[in-house]
Amino acid sequence: MKIIIGYLYPDLMNIYGDTGNIIALQKRAQWRGIEVDVINISLGAKLDHPPGGIAVDIFFFGGGQDQAQELVASDLVSSGKGKIIKSEVERGVPLLAICGGYQLLGAYYQPHNKPKLHGVGLFPAYTIASHDRMIGNIVVKSSVVSRQSSESLKADSEAILKTDDYLVGFENHSGKTYLKNEATSLGKVIKGFGNNGEDQTEGCIYKNAIGTYMHGSLLPKNPKLVDWLLQKALEVKYGKEIKLEPLDDTLENQAHKAVISKIC
Amino acid sequence: MSIKLIAAILLGKIIFYITQILKIGGGSAAPGYYALKIYPNLVKDLASKIPQTIIITGTNGKTTTARMIAQVAIAHGLKIIRNSTGSNLERGIASTLIANCNLFPRTCNLDLAIWELDEAAFNNVALKLNPNMIVFLNAFRDQLDRYGEVDSVISKWCQTLTKIDHKTEILINGDDHNLLELKKCFKGKIRIFGVKDCKISGEKIIHQKENEKLNFEATNIQPRGLDKIEFKINSESFSLPVPGIYNVYNFLASYAVADYLQIPESTMKTALQNFSPAFGRVEKFEFGCIFLIKNPAGATQVLQTVAPEIKSQDRLLLALNDNFADGTDVSWIWDVNFEILHLKPPVIPHLMRDPEHNKLDSRFRGNDIIVSGTRAQDLALRLKYAGFDSNSIIVENILEKAFKEAQTGLKGSLFILPTYTALLELQSILTKQGLKNNYWEENK
Repeated sequence: MKIIIGYLYPDLMNIYGDTGNIIALQKRAQWRGIEVDVINISLGAKLDHPPGGIAVDIFFFGGGQDQAQELVASDLVSSGKGKIIKSEVERGVPLLAICGGYQLLGAYYQPHNKPKLHGVGLFPAYTIASHDRMIGNIVVKSSVVSRQSSESLKADSEAILKTDDYLVGFENHSGKTYLKNEATSLGKVIKGFGNNGEDQTEGCIYKNAIGTYMHGSLLPKNPKLVDWLLQKALEVKYGKEIKLEPLDDTLENQAHKAVISKIC
Repeated sequence: MSIKLIAAILLGKIIFYITQILKIGGGSAAPGYYALKIYPNLVKDLASKIPQTIIITGTNGKTTTARMIAQVAIAHGLKIIRNSTGSNLERGIASTLIANCNLFPRTCNLDLAIWELDEAAFNNVALKLNPNMIVFLNAFRDQLDRYGEVDSVISKWCQTLTKIDHKTEILINGDDHNLLELKKCFKGKIRIFGVKDCKISGEKIIHQKENEKLNFEATNIQPRGLDKIEFKINSESFSLPVPGIYNVYNFLASYAVADYLQIPESTMKTALQNFSPAFGRVEKFEFGCIFLIKNPAGATQVLQTVAPEIKSQDRLLLALNDNFADGTDVSWIWDVNFEILHLKPPVIPHLMRDPEHNKLDSRFRGNDIIVSGTRAQDLALRLKYAGFDSNSIIVENILEKAFKEAQTGLKGSLFILPTYTALLELQSILTKQGLKNNYWEENK
């Protein structure tokens, strides 16, 4: 088996440890004998629908500096990439978008004293610039990953499902994201700020696409989330139920727990 | 006003002596802190009494560059003052001035001040110091939680530069494309230094810029292990007794400052023959050596320097803290190329596809790596994903224990790579073991 990771704007949207997420996807696939290609999709690059174009099996979209984010926002529209990403997600292709990437895939981003940046409209959410800097370690209770686990990994013990309930990371943003009524959040903030520091929601999930403010890097410390993305990607690609081989996650779980015990 | 200044200096001096007598630290912040409360213009007033002032700012290499300049200036017979303990906020500078200036008559009896200012402190203090020269070493992604993004660091420096007197000269590292933006914000004289055929590594994004005309250029770079690095400037040969290309940049900056101060090249050469960097920047001990790591660019440059020198009997101790001074966000370790610590290339693609050989990925160097610090678990994970065997990674959060573990049964050398507060901790561990003096005694 083989998967293709589409790394969106890696030269512009890779501000702090975003590479860690790519490494985690790559390694956890390779350790199971699944071949991985990472293709960089940046300004100027064309993205086509399969079968004509390259079929990306997982999209990753990181965070960027303000200037870069403006460039990327207009490219998503003008190059048509935004539309294609959206229709691929509708088809079930998994996506992970963090911070800036998450904001640009929402309905819009409203900066200070500047015109709105229109988003791709994938996540039913919008973001407004604020003067609060929301910085720190974050722990989120999320049923997304554990729900999947309980369906496909029924043999897992209760104890494992319990740690699955939490996602850990680090956030650093001043944009406040608000979910629309029809949106589903990734989870509930246990410690930290989350989407806006007001309503205890963090991130957004639509089909198999996840938007979140959590970096840290997010994926290495949340191996169940990596496996969720890999599994969805393979299921969509090969059209059958996939059960991933379990890995030794001792170090992953230690790092996960260390964050929880540090701040909770 | 003058009476307030006298009172401020006097108070500062009293606090300074008390901290000295009670040995409650280096007196690097408290005297300035209280004196500034009495007389907020203290730094501006006292700094103006020193004939020449050099400011050094940037993400990496400030302390090393300041030390090089100091060593050369002293060899030239100049009386100098600098904030040598890395205390680069206004209060640290005020403390240094208070300790070195007289009350009656209010003179400082100094020729040259060398101030290192971090990315943020520069904007707050530079104008008050009325510098003759400002050195911009580099602008890398550092602690985003403290300094913000590189673009915003540059744009703030730019704003500050527009207010700086045009008689000031600025010196820019021309190999850092971000810094070249500063040319637009300054009307005075600008000089540029760089290394021939060398791009700054450690940052993923390198934008090719049109070739900058360099005023000071190093060529023929020849690394010589961990002992030294050799290069040429204007066909004259130099040998610097510390490793790493990043130190060539620090040297070039010092060379340009020495040129500005009209210090002969021969004086500079002799003065830096025995150059030793600040604690932990590159420090050799009987048991091995210590290299400070603090951000992706710096850490990657350190790894590039160290990796070829690690022998099979050697050990590695990495310490990652997430205290305020380290940056509370440890994501940066994922931007550091730990993969280069391997003896062999980590991935053999045709075997990767074969499930039988999946584990091949983790069959690398046999020597153990000890990880420590408040975020040791994050480091352990980073190393696992860099292809190291999980079983050869030892996790010990408490640095003192980790250091002991690393020394037990050590046959080769120990390479220690700590973040900033882990370095401070290490300092006191070494002092306790009689291996190191207190840092505030270091520069006496």
